Amino acid sequence: MRDLAALQARFAAGLDAPVPDTGTQDLFVGESEQVRQRLGIYRGNAKANAAKAIAAAYPVVEKIVGGEFFSGLASEYQSRFPSVNGDLNEYGGAFAAFLVDFPPAVEIPYLAQVACLEWRVHCAHYAADPGPFDPARLACVPPEHQLLLRPRLHPACHVLQAAYPIARIWEVHQDTFSGEFKVDFTGDASYALVYRPRFRVEVAQISNAEAAFLGEALDAQTLGCALAAAQLRDASFNLGRSLSEWVRSAVIVDFKLNGE
Amino acid sequence: MSLLSAPEGKAAVRGIGIGLRARHYREFLDSHPRADWLEVHSENYFGDGGYDLHVLEHVRSQYPVSLHGVALSLGSADGVRTAHLAKLKRLADRIEPALVSEHLCWGAIGPRHFNDLLPLPYTREALAQVASHVMQVQESLHRRILIENVSSYLQFRASELSEFAFLAELAKRSGCAILLDVNNVFVNSVNHGFDPEQALLEIPTQAIGEIHLAGHCAAGELLIDDHGSRVVPQVWKLYETACRRFGPVPTLIEWDTSIPPLDILLDEAAMAARVSQAICA
Repeated sequence: MRDLAALQARFAAGLDAPVPDTGTQDLFVGESEQVRQRLGIYRGNAKANAAKAIAAAYPVVEKIVGGEFFSGLASEYQSRFPSVNGDLNEYGGAFAAFLVDFPPAVEIPYLAQVACLEWRVHCAHYAADPGPFDPARLACVPPEHQLLLRPRLHPACHVLQAAYPIARIWEVHQDTFSGEFKVDFTGDASYALVYRPRFRVEVAQISNAEAAFLGEALDAQTLGCALAAAQLRDASFNLGRSLSEWVRSAVIVDFKLNGE
Repeated sequence: MSLLSAPEGKAAVRGIGIGLRARHYREFLDSHPRADWLEVHSENYFGDGGYDLHVLEHVRSQYPVSLHGVALSLGSADGVRTAHLAKLKRLADRIEPALVSEHLCWGAIGPRHFNDLLPLPYTREALAQVASHVMQVQESLHRRILIENVSSYLQFRASELSEFAFLAELAKRSGCAILLDVNNVFVNSVNHGFDPEQALLEIPTQAIGEIHLAGHCAAGELLIDDHGSRVVPQVWKLYETACRRFGPVPTLIEWDTSIPPLDILLDEAAMAARVSQAICA
C-alpha cells in the first residue's frame, strides 16, 4: 500500500487548486465547513511564503508598479511557476522571463530588464566570498608577460546589457538614494555591473568598453584579450585606471598566472 | 551509535537560547548580548557566501549555535530531497553546530515544494517512512538530529496513532531526539481538542533534547502559530509541567513575525530561565 503518497498527492492538488474544495475534504477530521476554512490557512500559507520570497528579490519592480499590482504579478507568477525548492532564496529566477510574456506588465517596457538586474543582485548577495588576494605574487611577472595574466572576477560579479538604463533606474529606487529622481531614457544600449565590494551588493552603469573587458574576464580570457575587446569599442580605454578601480572595489579579486 | 552522537569538542547547548534573525544581526556583530545560545533557520544560510554566513560564523565563534531546518520535508512519501540534504550537510560542516533539528511534517511531493510545515497522517506506514528518512539524514550528517512536533490546523482521518505516540515511536526507531515545542502542543490541544498536560506524558523523558517556546495568535476558535508575540500564560504553565517532567532542557525563545527589539526576546529568555530554575534547581 502506498497510502501516504496518494494522500500527499491529493492534499497537494487541493492546495494548488484554483478554488478551495476539490475533493480533499474527506481526508480530514471535522465538519466540511470547518475543514474548508482550515484548508484555506494552508492554501494561504503556501502563497504567502512564496509571495514574500518574490517581494524580497524584486523590491525595485515592486516600487515601480506599486504594491497592489505587484501582488497580482506575484500571484500569477506563482501559478505559472510554483516553487520547487525548499530554499526560498532560490525562488523567483524566472520572474523576468514571466514579465516579458505577461501582457499587463508589458506596458512598462523596461520592467523585465530591471527584474533581470534585480535577480542578479539577489544572487550576488549569496555568492561565494573571494579568497585572499596577494598583489605581491604578481611582482615576479615580467612586464612582457603581464598581458597573459587572467583577471579573476568576484563570484558575485555579473555584467548585463539592456536596452534601457537599468542601473540608473535601480539606483534612483534605492531607499538610500537622495539625488534627483530623474532617468535619461534617450541613450541606446546600456550596461550594468553587479558587484559586491564586501557584503553590500552594488550596481554601476558602465561603458560598452568596460562591459566588453569584463565580459572577456568572466570568460577567463587574458588581460590582452580583454584589453583588445575594450579598445575595439573605445580606443581611449585606460587599462591601468580601470584595473586599479576594479581591484579597489573587489570586482577583480585575483589574477591567474599563465598555466594556473 | 557513536556515529550519531554530536561531534566531539563542540560547545554544548545549555540554558535559554534565542532565535537569531536578521533584524538583530547588528547587535550581535557590535556587542555580546547575554544569550546562552542561538538558533537559526538552516535554509537562510544555504548560500555559497555573503553577509548572512559572515554573521553566522561570527556568532558561532561566540555562542553555541543550533541549525533548525524548515524545508527538508522528512515526511515526503517520495523521499528526502538529496540536493537539500547536501546543502544542509555543507552548512553543518562549515558551522559545526551544537544541534541540528527539523520538523515532523512534509512540504514537498513530486517536483512541488509548498515551503510550509504540512501535517502528516500518523499512520504506521508514515512512521516507517519518516523513520527511514530521519536515519538517512543522521547517517549523512554523522550525528543525531532532533525532530520537532509542529502546530497544525487539520487532522487526518487515516491517523492510527496520536501525534505524540508517533513522535515517541519515531525517536525509538530512528534514534533521533525530540524537540518539544510547548507552544505547538498548546496550539494543537485547542485546535484539535485534547488535554495538553496528558500529551506531555506520552513523550519519553530520555528522548527530549530541546524545548521551543513562542507566541501564537487567535483567528476565531483557531489558534495560529505565528511566532509573533510573547509566550502566553497557559504556555508558561505547560512549560512548568515540561520542566517538572523532563528536567532542565535547553529552551529556545522563537520569534519570526513582527520581530521586536532584542531586549524583548532577552526578557522572554530571562522569564524562561526563572521558570526552569525554580523547578529544576
